[in-house]
Amino acid sequence: MKNMFKKADFVLLAILILIGIALSAVSVLSASRGAKAVVTVDGEIYGTYSLSDDQEITVERDGHTNKITIKDGSAQMTYSTCKNQVCVETGAISETNDSIVCLPNRVMVEIEGGEGGYDAVA
Amino acid sequence: MQWHSRTRRIAVSAMFAALAFIFSYIEAILPLSTGIPGVKLGIANLVVILALYNMNFRYAMGINVIRILVAGLLFNGLFGALYSLAGGVVSLTVMWLLKRTGLFSMAGVSMAGGLAHNMGQLLVASALVSNLKMFVYLPVLMFSGIAAGILIGITASVVNGRVPKDVFAK
Repeated sequence: MKNMFKKADFVLLAILILIGIALSAVSVLSASRGAKAVVTVDGEIYGTYSLSDDQEITVERDGHTNKITIKDGSAQMTYSTCKNQVCVETGAISETNDSIVCLPNRVMVEIEGGEGGYDAVA
Repeated sequence: MQWHSRTRRIAVSAMFAALAFIFSYIEAILPLSTGIPGVKLGIANLVVILALYNMNFRYAMGINVIRILVAGLLFNGLFGALYSLAGGVVSLTVMWLLKRTGLFSMAGVSMAGGLAHNMGQLLVASALVSNLKMFVYLPVLMFSGIAAGILIGITASVVNGRVPKDVFAK
């Protein structure tokens, strides 16, 4: 165990942890309650949906199907035909900067903030 | 003697690729899913690190690429294989460069490799879905990569001390 680490290992670890903490701080501080869910398919916007309306969105493309459920102000991928099911396991999201990505089906759900989003209220 | 040694290294590489593949398989069937894409232990990298230290960069890269292509296509499909490949190549290259400096231990090299693996995957993933917003995963992937890398690195240095060196043939 004694020769398992060298001095440079600890220096590198400390630097990386500091960078990690700084990045976490940036992403936590810039997050706020979202107003809209933007669904992107293959890099193009498929649709924008208000988080205040409970609804289910079905995305079908090239034989792949993804179902996104909006409920109580948060969005969740409730069904996907993809193999790894990472998107379904991500769970519900509601803050800006949050996203659900289904890489195999190339479907992405992102949360956007309320700026200019008065239509959600009006 | 030269030829004998080279043949032997190829045979050892094939065996290592098979071993790395089995580790990928074990990891794929273990119910350790964290729900966050990319957060995993990467047991197969144990084999790749041992190859990097006992053979050389080229053999380690060969083992790595074969393992990723076979395991990726079988367990994750084409896109899965593609971004695993990016992670694997970036990770091994970083480990090779750090090892060459002579400043880091095996655990330190592995730690940087774990981190580089996740960064490489994230880059390709964000290119595939053409959106840089995926970088919100960055801090999580950074810490998980570092932790997994250190664990694998410690295991690798323990194993490295016990594998008879004549296995690799000089």
